Amino acid sequence: MSFSFRTALSGALVMIAAPAAAQTADPARASVQMLDDGLIAIMKGGSSLGTQGRIAKIGPVVDQTFDIPLITRLSVGPDWVKVAPADQSALVAAMRRMTVAQYASNFSSWSGHSFAIDPKIETRGADKLVRTTLSAPKDEAVPIAYRLRQSGGKWRVIDVYYRNSISQLATRRADFAGVFAKGGAKALITHLDALTAKSGR
Amino acid sequence: MQVRGGSSILAVAIVLMATPMAAAAQETVVAPAPVGTITRAAVRAQTPNEGVRPRHAKGDPLEGFNRKMYAINQVFDRVFFRPVAMVYKTVVPNFARKGIRHFFSNVGEPLVFANDLLQLKPKRAVKTLGRFVVNSTVGVGGLLDVAKTKDFRLPHRDNSLGDTLGHYGIGPGPYLFLPFLGPSTFRDLPAGAAEAQALPVVVGSPFDRAEFRIPQAVLTGLDLRVESDAPLKALTASAIDPYATLRSSYLQDRAGRVAATHGARGGGAMSDPLADPLADPAGGSAAVAPASPASANDPLADPLTDPAAEGAAETTTSKPERTAEDPLSDPLADPAVSASPK
Repeated sequence: MSFSFRTALSGALVMIAAPAAAQTADPARASVQMLDDGLIAIMKGGSSLGTQGRIAKIGPVVDQTFDIPLITRLSVGPDWVKVAPADQSALVAAMRRMTVAQYASNFSSWSGHSFAIDPKIETRGADKLVRTTLSAPKDEAVPIAYRLRQSGGKWRVIDVYYRNSISQLATRRADFAGVFAKGGAKALITHLDALTAKSGR
Repeated sequence: MQVRGGSSILAVAIVLMATPMAAAAQETVVAPAPVGTITRAAVRAQTPNEGVRPRHAKGDPLEGFNRKMYAINQVFDRVFFRPVAMVYKTVVPNFARKGIRHFFSNVGEPLVFANDLLQLKPKRAVKTLGRFVVNSTVGVGGLLDVAKTKDFRLPHRDNSLGDTLGHYGIGPGPYLFLPFLGPSTFRDLPAGAAEAQALPVVVGSPFDRAEFRIPQAVLTGLDLRVESDAPLKALTASAIDPYATLRSSYLQDRAGRVAATHGARGGGAMSDPLADPLADPAGGSAAVAPASPASANDPLADPLTDPAAEGAAETTTSKPERTAEDPLSDPLADPAVSASPK
């Protein structure tokens, strides 16, 4: 037990140097900066904002910084094309609500937290990788990296890497696969809404 | 680390592990050939699994068994383990729990040292040794972690036999979830079991005594349950399928740690988070679409895959097919906007 859970849930990872690094002011960096500022704002707002207040505040930030439709498509995977258009848009909407609600519930209080954005932005093909570190005086620093892709003239987040190794998208794919295979888009929407409700409490 | 009966598990696991490893090796060989779209698509259409959802997720051939074990573990955790851990948390003050944690962590540093050496990282080994010496003396037998303070700057760095095996190219093998032991793999569980035997065998007393081993197992187990309570809660609260989510997180984390043993030259999901093409399913035809999850679903896709293969990235037409076999060869273009990927 100790060996495996410790490995799964903790530990510092070595940062790895970039293959192709592009410095200078980067539009992808600006998107991540915007997200980080938004998160700090709702953390500082904390309980005085309340969950609904934090949702209202971080919602527009998520809309501007994340490509939720693409994230939804990628999370569902190839079967996306078989989903009815109405269900597709319902899935995207459910995904947005859940993302916003989870940020509002996970970033709910502030005790000296700060984000540092690594000035070295990696570019690979069409995507960019922006590395950040979430630090707090009392906690171990947590590396969080963002994969961004350009859409509609803006760089938007399409994946988040926790501790540099755990891809949120990969985890979501695993998470969604079972319920989607069994119950299709409708079941997935129901479950996403349930998660949203859980976070909103 | 507190796995008992390690040697028998080890033997069974080694036998079972041989098959998936060989299979993985074959896959890697098949991967890179740059064949045109139509040919590859045709070949793919003939493969028996195409279009059929496998009964288990990739990397988890024992999924049915594992899910049962997971369910058992959840019940056990709810009715016994977590309540006891919470009592431990309430009764034993934080500084004492920390001291106990540091003590057992310090006892494990020689194993970290050994693995540093096995991975041919002498500088790192020296640091680990320094840390062990500092904490064993100034840190009052390991109770205090003074080595990580500014005076010494020697923070704990995990290393394990599982990492070492991975470092030398041994894949994780099938995923395994066992009650009381949690998530593991056919590589990491026996490796952990073997490591747990190292000090008892090499040093002997007191590490081979029940008077040491039982408190060690109980205290580190309880402490770990207390410390992982918040992350576990967060994980299950944000998951539709907590079993699959834990598996995915665990396997990605392990792959990332193994990749980290290679430093900048590593090729795993962590050192190269952009390796996965993330081809938009909405952008491609139905024939194209199956490509992405095959590669993307598997963050473990051999962490030692040659990073040079990525160089092939910059073409536009046939990539979604190619990603299916070789995640690293994809130009990372979104099919939805494939006309102008930059």
